[in-house]
Amino acid sequence: MRLSVKSFLCSLCLGTLAVARLSEEFNEELHLRPLPDGKLAARFSFSTLLKGATPRHPETLGVEDESQLYTLFPLALGQILREYAVTELHLTLNAGNWNYDRWGYPDEPGVGTGAELWAWMGEGGTVTVDSRWRGLRNALAGLFCASLGSLDEQRTTSPVLTFQPEGSLPNGNASYQLRHATLPSEHVCTENLTPFLKLLPCKSLSGIASLLNPHKLFDADWHGLGVHVRYLESAGVEVRLAFQAVFDPVRAASDKRRDWSLSAVFDRRIERVCPVARSSVIRVRLPQNEVYAIIPSPSTMDKTYATYIVQEVGKPLDVAIIRPEETLFEYLIEPQTHISVHRTLNGASQHAGQLALTITNNHDIQLQTGYLETMPWLLQFYLHTLHAHIDGMPRDDLVKLISYIPPLPHVQPALLQAVLTLPPKTTLWLTMDVVKPFLAYTEHPPDAQRGWDLPPAVFVPFASQNGSETDSDPQLHAVLSDVRSTRMYTPVLLVDLATPDFSMPYNVIIMSCTLIALIFGMVFNLLTRQFVVVRVGEQSS
Amino acid sequence: MPPAILIKIRKYLRPDGDKNAIRIRRRRKLIGALWASLPSVIVVLLAVGYLWMLSIPFPALGQRTYIDENALQPGQVNTHWNWDDVHRADRYLEALEQLRDRNASSVEVADYLATEFRRAGLSADTQEYSFFTTNGSKTGVNAYATFSSPRASGTEAMVISASWLSRTGEGDGTLNLRGVSTVLSLAWFLRGYSLWAKDLIFVVSDGYLEGMQAWVTEYHGVSQPNLQAEPLRLSSGVIWTALNIDYPGHSFSHLGVFFEGLNGRLPNQDLINSFQRISLYTGGVPMLVYDHRDDVEILGLPSWTPESIRDNSELKEYARRAKNVVRHVAYQARGQASGVHGLLHQFRIDAITLFAVPATGPHGFHAIGRIVESTLRTMNNLLERLHASFFFFLLVGPTTFLKIGSFLPSAVLISVAMMFCGLQGWVKAGWVWMLDEAQATKDEKVHKRVGNGRWSRRQRPVLKAVMVMAATHGLGVVVFYLLTRSWYLHNSTVAPLLVSSLLAVLPLTSLLLLPKQPAQEAPLPVMLKSLNLCLTSTVISILSVLNFSLAAVIAFLTGVPLCYASSSARSELRIAKYMAYTTLAFGWVALQRYEVLKAVANWELLGVWFAPFMCIVYAPLVLQAALVCLLPSESA
Repeated sequence: MRLSVKSFLCSLCLGTLAVARLSEEFNEELHLRPLPDGKLAARFSFSTLLKGATPRHPETLGVEDESQLYTLFPLALGQILREYAVTELHLTLNAGNWNYDRWGYPDEPGVGTGAELWAWMGEGGTVTVDSRWRGLRNALAGLFCASLGSLDEQRTTSPVLTFQPEGSLPNGNASYQLRHATLPSEHVCTENLTPFLKLLPCKSLSGIASLLNPHKLFDADWHGLGVHVRYLESAGVEVRLAFQAVFDPVRAASDKRRDWSLSAVFDRRIERVCPVARSSVIRVRLPQNEVYAIIPSPSTMDKTYATYIVQEVGKPLDVAIIRPEETLFEYLIEPQTHISVHRTLNGASQHAGQLALTITNNHDIQLQTGYLETMPWLLQFYLHTLHAHIDGMPRDDLVKLISYIPPLPHVQPALLQAVLTLPPKTTLWLTMDVVKPFLAYTEHPPDAQRGWDLPPAVFVPFASQNGSETDSDPQLHAVLSDVRSTRMYTPVLLVDLATPDFSMPYNVIIMSCTLIALIFGMVFNLLTRQFVVVRVGEQSS
Repeated sequence: MPPAILIKIRKYLRPDGDKNAIRIRRRRKLIGALWASLPSVIVVLLAVGYLWMLSIPFPALGQRTYIDENALQPGQVNTHWNWDDVHRADRYLEALEQLRDRNASSVEVADYLATEFRRAGLSADTQEYSFFTTNGSKTGVNAYATFSSPRASGTEAMVISASWLSRTGEGDGTLNLRGVSTVLSLAWFLRGYSLWAKDLIFVVSDGYLEGMQAWVTEYHGVSQPNLQAEPLRLSSGVIWTALNIDYPGHSFSHLGVFFEGLNGRLPNQDLINSFQRISLYTGGVPMLVYDHRDDVEILGLPSWTPESIRDNSELKEYARRAKNVVRHVAYQARGQASGVHGLLHQFRIDAITLFAVPATGPHGFHAIGRIVESTLRTMNNLLERLHASFFFFLLVGPTTFLKIGSFLPSAVLISVAMMFCGLQGWVKAGWVWMLDEAQATKDEKVHKRVGNGRWSRRQRPVLKAVMVMAATHGLGVVVFYLLTRSWYLHNSTVAPLLVSSLLAVLPLTSLLLLPKQPAQEAPLPVMLKSLNLCLTSTVISILSVLNFSLAAVIAFLTGVPLCYASSSARSELRIAKYMAYTTLAFGWVALQRYEVLKAVANWELLGVWFAPFMCIVYAPLVLQAALVCLLPSESA
């Protein structure tokens, strides 16, 4: 493997572009999907494959690295990956709440609000995983202009069950570690998109990426960008840059209909192809059981998808779907996912509260789901009060395999994992008492009266452990194959901790100075006074 | 050699002799003078306190309101609410009027509302609830919808609400149809914008107050023992601000703001001030405090009064402000919410009610829609909770208010007078003027000799006085228990009389506590009065920062009577005084039946502690003064 990388790098050094093109491969794809509530989901995926490459082994961190000469592969990102010997990396920056009930599962599973970063890194060598993790955070923060540096030890956990590697880990016998952190208060905007576009070989000048118009993207109901690096044993190192957004054509249109076109949604058309892209594809999921027209005519088309190969179709390309018979769009919503989750923080006091979750199984078969909380110490669980109810009846037996790492105040967050069993067509109520700690006044953020954002909980619906049961029931099998390894993120929460009035310090200083002055005066008086007997009576008479 | 006058002054200031002895003598003289003038000090404090209360509406006092939180930027946006939104509101109104005309049930109405919310593309649901009180049960169905704003994380939310019954007549059946139509049309309109940074929650609550109480307690996961409500299936973020729309008439001329919450809580003043500016400058609708129109003849003086008095602008302004203050005190002292918004304050939500004051014109849906839109945009700007402006204020006019420092001292001065009076009583209770020389010389603690008698120490029966006080508070608990029973609520003539006669007779048992050796011990009335005054003063001081209006009312009612309660030699006079004080203490049980029922209902439904406070704290305190008058004072 190493030999092939060397030869590949050598060929790069020689500047033979033909060889380089064979070794690096760039594919772009746009997936457009109408959602049941009239919205339009768009997913851009730009993947660059570095053929035959392997991630850097942590034990080689002390020695000088091979030179990195890429034509398509983003150098800025490649340097970070090599510097900190990262095997697999996932960074997402999202704005908005992914509404599972209305939109179903997203194309990219990482839809938690705010920033989420997780990485698998090999152990060994002179530099520890934690110090490499710190370096990685800061490097990515600089690269993407995001506050990823705040993903410090107080937010870092290692929930290996939920965040399994998506690629393969080289050297089967070496041990790997996961680092995961979320920052729900991070906002995504143009300053993150610009460095993101810079990593693309054609920037946003041509090809599908030319549709990435910040004015439209950041007006979308939901939008998020992601960077996914993984190692595929048979292929090499793959960097996939993804942008996902949910547009509302009804909101944008003056006639309040949900017809859409690329020019209406993105305010741009595809004028030319990206010359270095090996494939450049637009896939449009077609409406079912409706009258519609799709223009221009796609390269290939079946019942569910229309596919445009951008190199082949005429330019400028402006894909549109028109529903000529529809005048007014009526919303009609059924839950689109297997389970629906709501998470709320109850209680009005600033000292204690209750974390309440309602998890509804929308299917008529029993499901299981993993439940993960990575909670900063700003909210501390009373684990013994974790109870499950169904219609008011206690059903604590449905919560199994609880693993819990308690938080260390000011140091490390709590990690709570459990497996929940959801009977068919029922709602499970999960409640747990929490306590809100008292912060030192220096720990409050500048906008102290806002409260603190708490990261989303993650649910992973999965197949029942009983394999034979799954096989025997074809319906169950169909459902579970659909469900498998899809992460679902709950919305983030805001917690109110006891917050001082920050104009108070002045009052406190004035008050305490006065009190101290008074006390000092009295004590000083008593200490320096001489006590004598004074005859008053004789003189007064 | 200095001039003679300087020497004289120096001699006066520094007389010859032992310096320390002079100092001690001077100090004694000063204390003596203070003690001698204490009765007049008390009179002065009381007078200043009462006059201060009367001068609160004075036009010279108070200052202009201002926006404290810079993020709010009220009225700085272009509004988009337009005539087709007004048209939609009209269509909704027609549909709601049809529902009203065919006497649709709560379930039907709520289902209609939820369907309309869903057609607008929002997640909507209904919530059934029933309250169980001694006065029967109240059931209803709320409809609510959440709009998760595009791009927002949904951690914060704003509420736009309307109750099915208007606050006109405290929910006596006037429907708030236009308010509900406004909310429906707003739901359709507001979801068309991607600029919201907070989620929007639309609530149409059933009934007047009870629907919102059921909704807001369930939203915060707080259980109330006498409330059975469906849990909410839709959730959103932490609610920071809320607007409640009350539009009962056909058109309106002014928008009135109602802001008092349960137990005297007030919203942040920035909310009211922003609304005032937006209403005036964006909507062109002047804001009123409550529904007090400023164009009506405020003084109402008969025609024979001289014109200089009738047309005196200062006097008119005083009357206008006094009207607002009295209304405010009436709400706040009772701990009553002046509208549906008041139920939200208990969960730290800053909320007000916009009341469209019914008139023949000129404003309608167009104005109220724009004003609500702009106010929501202002609230949308908040990065933190409202915290910059005042939470303690007295709004005497739409743009004039009093800070806490300029009204709090009125009640506190009276409370200080009472404390002085009580301490004076305590000192007096410890001393007795003995005429018998022979007996007095044996006493070791003889301090002073005047004429042919002397002051000597005596014991203070603290325990007896405290027991009497505890018994009166116990009686208060019994009264509160009786008032919350259903037989009291249903027997409108017998029960109040029965309770009041019980109250009149039971305290007489304290006559049994008479001391056996009057000379050695201070008389019970003196002790009782002293402790009673100290306790009342403390209660008023503490209360003044929790609920100023209630503290002011208590201070106003008890200040003079408690300070000047005294026993007398003639038993008829004693009985008469006792009856007068008992009337002050418990008269409301017999005379203010409607108020009693309302206070009890507020306690049971909404947890307003006015009823228990009056029964267990206020009335027993006055009853103690009544006992002071009743018990014979032997030393006299």
